Amino acid sequence: MKDRTTTAPPVLDVRDVTVRFAGLTALDGVSFTVVPGSVHALIGPNGAGKSTCFNVLSGLCRPAEGTVSLGDTELTRLAPHRIAALGVARTFQNIVTTHGTVADNLMLGRHALSRAGFAASALRLPSAVREQREHLGRAREIAELTGLGAHFDTPVALLSYGDRKRVELARALCLEPRVLLLDEPVAGMNAAERARTAEVVGELRAELGLSVVLVEHDMGLVMRLADDVTVLDFGRRIAHGTPDEVRQDPEVLRAYLGTDATGEDAA
Amino acid sequence: MSDRLLGALTRRRAWLLLLAVVLCLPPFYLDAFWLRIGLFSMAAAIGAVGLALLSGTAGQLSLGHAFFLAVGAYGYAWFAGEPGPGLPPALAAVLAVLLAGTAGGLFSPVAARVKGIYLGIATLALVFLGHHVLLTADSVTGGFNGRSVPPLTLGGFTFAETDPELTVLGVPFGAEERLWFLGLALFAFTWFTARGLLRSRPGRALAALRDSETAAAVMGVDVARHRSAAFVVSSMYAGLAGVLLALAFRRVVPDYFSLVLSVDYLAMIVIGGLGSVAGATAGAVFVTALPLLMTRYADQLPLVAAPGSSEGAVGPTEAARYLYGAAIVLVLLYAPDGLHGLARRARDRVRRSRTPATGTDVPPPPQPSADARPKEHTP
Repeated sequence: MKDRTTTAPPVLDVRDVTVRFAGLTALDGVSFTVVPGSVHALIGPNGAGKSTCFNVLSGLCRPAEGTVSLGDTELTRLAPHRIAALGVARTFQNIVTTHGTVADNLMLGRHALSRAGFAASALRLPSAVREQREHLGRAREIAELTGLGAHFDTPVALLSYGDRKRVELARALCLEPRVLLLDEPVAGMNAAERARTAEVVGELRAELGLSVVLVEHDMGLVMRLADDVTVLDFGRRIAHGTPDEVRQDPEVLRAYLGTDATGEDAA
Repeated sequence: MSDRLLGALTRRRAWLLLLAVVLCLPPFYLDAFWLRIGLFSMAAAIGAVGLALLSGTAGQLSLGHAFFLAVGAYGYAWFAGEPGPGLPPALAAVLAVLLAGTAGGLFSPVAARVKGIYLGIATLALVFLGHHVLLTADSVTGGFNGRSVPPLTLGGFTFAETDPELTVLGVPFGAEERLWFLGLALFAFTWFTARGLLRSRPGRALAALRDSETAAAVMGVDVARHRSAAFVVSSMYAGLAGVLLALAFRRVVPDYFSLVLSVDYLAMIVIGGLGSVAGATAGAVFVTALPLLMTRYADQLPLVAAPGSSEGAVGPTEAARYLYGAAIVLVLLYAPDGLHGLARRARDRVRRSRTPATGTDVPPPPQPSADARPKEHTP
């Protein structure tokens, strides 16, 4: 099994990325750099282009212009599964789990790290059986880490909303990622679940040293967890800095509260 | 806990052994008619398991299954027979399966890019193309009348009436009796491999593809590669089923491998429950055995005409089709997870009602019911 966690994650660099959907410019020359081992928040009102940005990072969407690179590797031309194999894992805003148990979902996360092909699995060759057992062990560890240990063999469909969101997080972690993209990890959760997830993300970053890119509407969470914040509005980057800097930025206030508010604010 | 697990494992072994013994009994007690039903069911089950992998697990609809069955059946007849290279039949059988896989592989540029129901339409072309080739390429396929299938020989043992003459426990072993055991072996091999596939890395990747292509891709699954691999594997199972069918029929004719056969296989996996090996088997037995049984007992059934009579009543084959048409509708309406789902729910209920009596404190793990599914299957 590969162990990526011993080395620091490479720099994730987004340069002048532009994405257009039939006349609509979803992202307009957006740039930002995710410092290795940091939590980088991407915020902005609905429709600002945050999820599109994630889709570019994970290879689901090709930008018209600009580049995304992870260390020395250019990601923009790679298929999603290649990007995943490089250690970029993501969760989705709407829960996207598959049928089956929590274990099945987490083992899907181990896909890129395991080798067993069709022939070896069909014939149940000892190598395939051993590999599966090893990865199952690691998946169980990750389930414990994310608080899903008790539900390991439970079908995902029977879990609560918060637990299902956590399954997505755990599945992403099963990739042993160097960069973790979290798309609204606490949306729809209650206060206790939010606190729990925030705690897990904090621990992950401290223990595994991975870089986290976070899209989140919960400002309390963003301000608590993030080292850097990039603010998007209508596909453009309107502000960038530490949480405190961004909080006081007039452009950000305008985007979030409307022009009147800025007027009052400026006055 | 581990004691219980061990107990469960031993119990499972015991059940498997018992099942194997029971499945070995029919040749000693039943006549050729029943053995043929069993043989056709086993062949159909092998093909249905292949289709279940493709349509049930990977969510790719295929109407081209009959084509790959034909490739397997005709491939064997050609490799082993005259005209043809006349290879040793065992080698010919292996080559026929590989040929079916290759045919699937040649189609994989399409199978990798087209998804769900659209693949169903694309594979429709294969059936018509295949049927046309079978009818016109006389020198290889024998044209409309088809060609005879040489019996299988394995190390001097022939799966036919004689050579060597064989009597086991006072029962003369003819072709059906011998083929029964061959069918059982191939069927066991199919179960072993298909379940191995489903419960490991490739199977999970295929299921993920079906549920969400995007999620699968960002989890590292090479979408195109897995789609085409699923298609190739499914074609190989179909090829194996084709070989066994050819051996059971002893003659292959083009009209058998029509679109109707493809639809029959779809019916099997829908009735059985998509994506499960046991379900596909149950569906295969149901769809295969029903028309044969109805033909046999037509004179005792109400509203069904005897075979060959032309009194305007419903013939047994049509009646069987009505019945399994009705079965499909009932399954889709009331048990979308098929016979397999019904069996599982029944088992859970039995277990639940038994739990307090035995005094175990651990409740059975909850099973998802049909309506608890987050998403429906594609086909």
